[in-house]
Order: sequence, then structure tokens, then C-alpha cells
Amino acid sequence: MSNMEKKKEKNKLLQVIGGDKLILLAAIVVVFVLFTCLNRNFLSWTNMVNLLVAASLVGMVAVGHTYLIIAGQNDLSPGSLAAFCGTLAALLLSKGLPFLAAVLITLLAGVAVGLFNAWMVNKIKLEAFIATLVTQSVIRGFAYIICDGKPISISNKTFLALGKARFLTIPVSVWLMILSFAVFGFILAKTKFGRSVYAIGGSSEAARLAGLNPQKIITTCFILIGVLTSMGGIIFAARMNSGQPAANVNLEFDAITAVILGGVSFAGGVGSMFGTVLGVILIQAFNTGLIMVNVPTFWQYVARGALLLFALTSDYIRKERREKELLEASMRNIK
Amino acid sequence: MSSILEFKNISKYFPGVKALDDICFKAYGGEVLAFLGENGAGKSTLLKVLNGDYQPTKGEYLLDGVQKHFSSPHEAIQEGISVIYQERQILLELSVAENIYLGRMPANRFGVIDTGKANRMAQEIIKDFGLPISPTTKVKDLSIAYQQMVEIMKAYSRENLKVICFDEPTASLSDAEIDCLFEVIAKLKAQGKIIIYVSHRMKEIQQIADKVAIFKDGRYVDTVVTKEVPEQQLIKMMVGRDLGDIFQNLDRNEKIGEVLLEVKGVSSDYVKENSFVLHKGEVLGFSGLVGAGRTELMRAIIGADKMKSGEIYLEGKKIVNHSPKEAMENGIVLVPEDRKLQGILSNLSISGNINIALMDQNSNRLGIIDSSKEAEAADRGIRDFKVKTPSPDKKIVELSGGNQQKCIVARGIATNPKVLILDEPTKGIDVGAKSEFYSMICEFAKQGLGVILVSSEMPEVIGLSDRIIVMRALRIVGEVSREEASEDRLLSLGMMGEEANE
Repeated sequence: MSNMEKKKEKNKLLQVIGGDKLILLAAIVVVFVLFTCLNRNFLSWTNMVNLLVAASLVGMVAVGHTYLIIAGQNDLSPGSLAAFCGTLAALLLSKGLPFLAAVLITLLAGVAVGLFNAWMVNKIKLEAFIATLVTQSVIRGFAYIICDGKPISISNKTFLALGKARFLTIPVSVWLMILSFAVFGFILAKTKFGRSVYAIGGSSEAARLAGLNPQKIITTCFILIGVLTSMGGIIFAARMNSGQPAANVNLEFDAITAVILGGVSFAGGVGSMFGTVLGVILIQAFNTGLIMVNVPTFWQYVARGALLLFALTSDYIRKERREKELLEASMRNIK
Repeated sequence: MSSILEFKNISKYFPGVKALDDICFKAYGGEVLAFLGENGAGKSTLLKVLNGDYQPTKGEYLLDGVQKHFSSPHEAIQEGISVIYQERQILLELSVAENIYLGRMPANRFGVIDTGKANRMAQEIIKDFGLPISPTTKVKDLSIAYQQMVEIMKAYSRENLKVICFDEPTASLSDAEIDCLFEVIAKLKAQGKIIIYVSHRMKEIQQIADKVAIFKDGRYVDTVVTKEVPEQQLIKMMVGRDLGDIFQNLDRNEKIGEVLLEVKGVSSDYVKENSFVLHKGEVLGFSGLVGAGRTELMRAIIGADKMKSGEIYLEGKKIVNHSPKEAMENGIVLVPEDRKLQGILSNLSISGNINIALMDQNSNRLGIIDSSKEAEAADRGIRDFKVKTPSPDKKIVELSGGNQQKCIVARGIATNPKVLILDEPTKGIDVGAKSEFYSMICEFAKQGLGVILVSSEMPEVIGLSDRIIVMRALRIVGEVSREEASEDRLLSLGMMGEEANE
């Protein structure tokens, strides 16, 4: 009988971590070992901190994508929005606005873009994928327009400190990412709003008939990713000492890959913030590693595409398996 | 030489449902065979098995003695089996000829399509049918009836056409158009094709069908010669069940109270001008055919569809429901018809499903959910409604249909409603769970709830309701008291409307 107990014990462990997460953890270990073998410096403290700093923007956007994709939506505009917000903040500071005002206005721009995306999805009934493609192009355009195509350098001390300051030896940007993961992970798992996001992702119409307001929830999710992206864009500009309209081109690509790798289903309704944390670590380690072992830039694109393909394939396999298990379980319960 | 189509022991299971149960019979060429049965009797499912849309779980069918197996409707069409559906499956932007020869347009050896040849070939067929249309007309410029004709011509143009099935073909046709369709069917019949005709309209069946195959609860009952059996007897054969002991032994509510809900002239995009009242402690049945507008009326009442005109009074007070949420706050809840897509939240647990409408009560001011309150509500729901599950944390999709439905009812009742609307609550549920639901419904009425029971299962409506409202073509067409309710009466009201009353 001890065998059975052991099995039970193992199942419990699997439930806590989630069976899928073990594969993801294994993938992270493989990536770390591989890159460390190829370049000793990969595992150094400095590099680990740099990796986390680089991950912070992707991480914050991925928090937003976790909500949106679970709710059955998506957003392709964060790359443009982050660049726009960084440039806007730099512009406002260069015009002599105080730190707080510049940051607040920039965050409001994030809210506005979120509202616009939600409006297209809720009211014009566009597919989020297509709707946010519109925003992607328009906002990138505005990023160039407001600065006349040239990066704007930043001299505001408080603002630059956002990019440099450290707390307990770890940069503020990393703390912000960790805070976003913790706070929004908690909200997703423990609150009314989080539960509603899962519910509308499972079946929007059933959720509506059960008394939820799917449009309101979708709007909130779009605002959330807008604000998180805007925050990430501000920090990025602070790190670069300038607002750069051409920056962050592959941001949404990385964030979405991370979220799907982390076990959020493209079909909606399934996933967790913990998975996204692992997904972000994996994709950033992958990206940083490729640079450190001198993979040519062009090949990096190919490699990233391959990683997304891997993520999507595993999402598909997970979904098939879930459906098969459920059908079997329901068949058992009927006969 | 006419063909024979033989069904041998066909069964089809879906999770929780036995849709077809050991179907055995034959259909012969040169005859029109009508399928007759109530909603859910299995007629459409059988057609879908026949044309490869569904794979049978057990059994097989033979065409002229050869066993057939199709993995898609496309394969079936190539082998000469076509099903013409209510919804046109036709490309509106293409011409008549292009639609008829879709995917096999005549072409020269370089693969260039010969439109002229296609038009000439199409013209031949149009002449056969005797229709006043041109092969080059775009299909979107034709009337619905002619669009359907194009579909039939598409099937007809296959030289090997052997079986042609019509699934409620006349639903949107005028009388003249129906005559035209019947002429075409007569022609196909003269050519020795096997013709299967599914319809609810008794008059049409009398007119066109040589034989009638009767289905009931997924089983094949019998085939009779249309002329030899009077209409009333046909209806009896398709419904013919006793109401059974289940309904006799129910502990019904005897004390019906004052008016609870008053619906006045409610219209939406899908229903027209409907008025009725519901009393406290009353079970009000809604009968009618699928598509009569029952579900749509309920959706308009709870604000799931936009109400265009009309008023709703609850306990004498006017209420307006802009959304299901508002209806719920006002005390009206709906258990929807489509359990899979509109009832359950398939990705959530049993507890999550029961508690979804209780989140306001279960959470604090910050919106953080108190999991002990949720556990309590879930346990109460599972206990009160006898949901069979080892744990409230199991996914709801793992349960049988009946237990899923109990969770949805538990969800609604947990909000303390005054009016409970049940739309086809026992669809796809086994007999045991059904009788549990019947007792439950009586219990709700005893507690003073007003219960609206929308159901296509005649025995259920008759056995449970204090009054029955019948809808037809988006309107309420009649009301039958408990005493005068019978299956024939409801069916004829639902099929033929008011005039059948006289």
C-alpha cells in the first residue's frame, strides 16, 4: 500500500506545481545548463541581474497578456505603446514638466490606448488580434511623430534614477516586475475580478447569463495591459537615458510566447501567473543566451520563431490532452 | 432499376446522451419517405450519420447492398448521397452554374475553366426543372426558394445521385414555392431516387410522402404507408407514451398565489408582441416547436436579448432588465437551454460554477473571495440538489449532463430568485435525473417561486404545468389549462396554430 501512498504523494506534488510546469522547469534547466556550458559567464551574478533587468519590461507586459489571453483576447500593440510611452515621457520632461506630471500623463496614455482597444473589440466587434494590429501601427506612427523621428535624451535626475536605482542590490525595474507578478497574480487567483476573467474566457455567453458583464471585464483587462506597458516603457526609457520611438519592436512577441509557454491556453480560460513567471524566465534566458553565445542576429529571429512554435505546439498538445481526459471522465460518470 | 438504402443497427452516443438507439430499416428508390418524430427523436442525427457528418458509434448502412462509410459530407456527395439543409449551403457571390459545378467546373487540358460549357450544362438542368432562371445569374439575386433549387440542382447534376434528403425544406418557403419544390421532388421520384423528407408539417407529409418512418426518443418505431394511417394516429405513434407513474406521484403545489410576473407585449429582434402572467407557486409550461420563439422570449425577458417594446411587472412593480445581471438582481433567473455553451463554465470547478453568481456576497470590500464562504455555498448546493460528485473541486465537465444541470439550477437558486425560468431543463438527461428534476420543480413551486418551464418534451410540460402556453412562429398562439392539456392538443396548436382550435 505504501506504493499507492507514494503515488498519491506524487500526485499531490504534481497538483501543487502542475504537471505541465515540470516540463517547463526542465526546459529552463536545460537552457541554463546549455548556455552555461557555451559561456561560463552566463550564470554569473552580474549576468543574472542583467537578465532580470532585461526581463522586466517583457515581464510586466506578460502580466497583462496573462489576463487578456485567459479572458480569450489578445494584444499586439504593447511594443509600439512601450516605445510611444518612453518617447512621450522623454518629450514631456524635455518640455520642463516635473517628474510626477510626466509619468502620470504617460500612464494616462496607456489607459487611453487600452480603452481604444477595448472599444474596437466590444463595440465594433473586431477580433482582438486584428484590432490591436491597427493600434500597433497607429501608435508606432505617433511615437515617431511626437519626436520627429529622433530619440529624445533625458536629463531629469529623478526619472533616470528609476532606471539605475537599486534596492537590496536589485534594480528598481526588477522589483517592479516582481511586484506586478505578485499583486496581479494574487488578484487573478483570489479575487472576484480574477474569477470573472477565467469565467468569460471559458464561455463569454454563459458568464453573461450567469450575471457577469464580459465587456466591462475585457475593458479592464485592456486598460491593465495598457498601464503595465506604459510603466514598462517609462522604465525602459529611464534605463536608456532617452525616449526611443523605434524601440521594443518584438515586445509583444516575447510576452505572448512567454505566456503561452507558461501554460495559458490560446483558447482562453486556462492558465496561471506562476506559469507566466516561468515562461518569462525561460524566454529571457533564451534571448540573452543567444546573444551571449554570439548567435548572429538574423538567426536569433529564426530561433525565437522556433520557440513560439514550440510554445504553440505544447499548448495544442495540452488542450488535446485536457479534452481527452474530460471526455473520458464524463463517459465514466455517465455509465 | 431503383436503389435500396438499408440502416443496420445504427447507434450514436454523445457524452451523456444516446442519440440513436439501434436503428434498423430500409428506404426504397422511387418513393418519398418522410421522417416523423418530436424534437430530439433522432431524425437529424440519422441524416448526419448518413452523410458522414457524424460517425455512428455502432452499426452500418448499405446502399444497394454495399456498405458505405463516409468521413465527411463531401465524400457522401461524391458517392451520390446529398442532404439539403434548411440553411442554404451555397456561395451567394457565384453564379448559378458555378454553384452547381462547384469544385468540378469543366476545364480544358490546361486547367482553364470553360464557363460557356458550364453554363450550357447548367441550362440543361434548369430546363429539366422547368425554372425561369439563367445559369449566369448570381445566386444572391435569387429568391430563397430558387437558392434552394440551386442546391437541389447541384445534387441532381451528379450523375450518380441516388439518395437525396430534405431537412425541413419548406420552413421559409411560400405556398407557391412549396408547390414548385414538390414538382421537383416528384420528378426525382420518377427517376427512381431515394427521397427522404424531414418535416414537422403534417399537411405536407400527407401531400408528398408515400411512406412515413416514425422515430421516438432515438429509436425507430415503424414505417407506415401514409394513405393508410390517419393523421391523429401518426401523432399518437410519434409521441405515444403514458405520462407514467412519475407524474402521478409528484407532490404538486396546490396553493397558487397572486400574480407574480406580468409580461406585456414583449418584442425583440426574435419575438413579436408576447403577453402572459405568472402566479406565485405556479408552474407555467411553454410548449411549441423548435424555432417558435420560446427561448427567445425568455432571453428578451431577462435582458439577454434587447427588448424592443413591451413592459415587465414583478409583484406589481415595473422592472427593466438591460442585462441578465439586472434580471438576477430583480429576482428573475434563467437556466439556459444550451447547457454546454450557455450554462456551464466549462473551465471552472463545480464550486466555481455554483458560486459565479454569488461572488458579491462571497467577497470582501476589496473583492477578495472568501474561500470558506464559497466552500459552504458549494456544499449546500451539492447537498440540496443531490449532485453526485466526490468533490466540489472537480471540473464541472466531468459530471454527467444531469449533474451539470443540477449545478446550474443550484447557481440560480442560490441568488434567491422569485421567478425561475427553466429552458429545456431535462434535455439530454437520463430518466433517473429527470424525475429528480420534476420533484425539484414541484418543490420550488411550493416555496412560492413562479416557475416557467420551457420544454419540448410533451409529457413533461403536461405532467408538471398548472397552465401551458403554446407558441408558434414567434408569437403566443394559445393557452391550455392543466385539465384540457393533451399531447395531441399541444402538438396541433404548436404546428397549426389557432385555427386548429376550432
